[in-house]
Amino acid sequence: MAKIRPDYENSWWPRFLRWLESGSSALDDALLDELSSTAEEHLVEGAANASTREAHDEERRLLSIRDEKLLYDRIHRWAHSKGSRIIRWLYRITAVAICVGIIILLLNTAANLPPFGSPDNPVNNEVSQRYIEQGMQETGAVNIVAGMILDYRAFDTLGESNVLFIAACAVIILMRLPSSPDSKPTTEQLEAEADDRMYEPKNDMILQHQANFLVPLILLFGIYVIMNGHISPGGGFSGGAIMGAGLILYLNAFGFRKTERFFTFTTFRIVSLCALSFYAVSKAYSFFTGANHLDSIITTGTPGMLFSAGLIPYLNIAVGLVVCCTMYAFYTLFRKGDM
Amino acid sequence: MIDTIRLIASLLLTGAGLFCLLSAVVGVYRFRYALSRIHAAALIDTVGICLMLLGVIVATGFTVASAKMLVVIGFLWLTSPVSSHLIGRLEVTINDELDKDAAVMDRAYVEHEKEAELPIETAAPTDKEEDA
Repeated sequence: MAKIRPDYENSWWPRFLRWLESGSSALDDALLDELSSTAEEHLVEGAANASTREAHDEERRLLSIRDEKLLYDRIHRWAHSKGSRIIRWLYRITAVAICVGIIILLLNTAANLPPFGSPDNPVNNEVSQRYIEQGMQETGAVNIVAGMILDYRAFDTLGESNVLFIAACAVIILMRLPSSPDSKPTTEQLEAEADDRMYEPKNDMILQHQANFLVPLILLFGIYVIMNGHISPGGGFSGGAIMGAGLILYLNAFGFRKTERFFTFTTFRIVSLCALSFYAVSKAYSFFTGANHLDSIITTGTPGMLFSAGLIPYLNIAVGLVVCCTMYAFYTLFRKGDM
Repeated sequence: MIDTIRLIASLLLTGAGLFCLLSAVVGVYRFRYALSRIHAAALIDTVGICLMLLGVIVATGFTVASAKMLVVIGFLWLTSPVSSHLIGRLEVTINDELDKDAAVMDRAYVEHEKEAELPIETAAPTDKEEDA
């Protein structure tokens, strides 16, 4: 438990705070003086010394103003003559030092690089050989790339999905308009919507007919690419991008009122959270059992089948959902500032 | 004999496609106004690529790859004219000096477009009624 000091006002921390706020020890002393004196004067009641007190206060106020002005002038002069010169020199010296340091580092690295194309290079180690030769037996994925990015190097892909998610978070922080507490649209949101409707194709019949035909095909193709990520070229990233493009086309054709029925900000949050945490938890289980030589319930299955390759199809789905939501969120946030 | 005919046919088709592409590129650079340029640019995605792919299909014969090319032609014909149409519509909507740029225009349609952008407050509730 912290001790409560009687002379807390005079200890070093509040002094430091006051110094930070006002920047002048002279002012500090004046303030302290005033605080203590007013505290005392409040005890002394009476109209007789009211006028003298006022005169006293006025004098002290003028004095403090003069002090402040002097101090400001001093600091201003210093900052504009000596200080700026010092900072400019520091800036230049630091910039040159950093540049020279990076140049030396990069030249040194380039000089010590192994010769290009030599078979003894560290790149040509047993890792890629093993991926190519035993990748299918070990991961069960016919598509070696999927086996690599979602099994051998699954942490890498988790990082990539998180990068997308963090990018979406940054865009939300920067672009999302604040909503009012009583769930009514604020003026900013209304203005943004009006701006948006200016350039929106307003219920364009041609676009709507085309979207009616194309959006299901695009979404289906995206699902196909995601689900066959471990069998054929494709996977979560490309399939998710296709699905996101389909959603954006639907939004352009039918407007926000139709898309808000199935995709709102809450959907984005829930889907991203579920997909990323499923990825992390399932892959943590897989790594834990693999590293400790425990029996795992995940089997590789028959390579080439739809439900094979252990976790890879499910991880592909998770990555695809994150990518799809992120693409759609980018589009809507940049367009209207909300979803 | 049949190979020669096929080669000549595919050469003719590819040449026609190439001519369309070249004339479209010239048009994109020569035309002064956005709507005219869209007219030229839309030629590339529809006629030009269609003729080129048809030429390639004729040259390779009927395989899985040529079937995919037919599908590509179909999707391009579905999407590219719509995007050109949307760009043109946006240009008509936001250009305030359309009289200067376009010599011939459907005045009733343009008026309709310009009016459609104004009543934002009235447009929103009607959408809502549709949903309900």
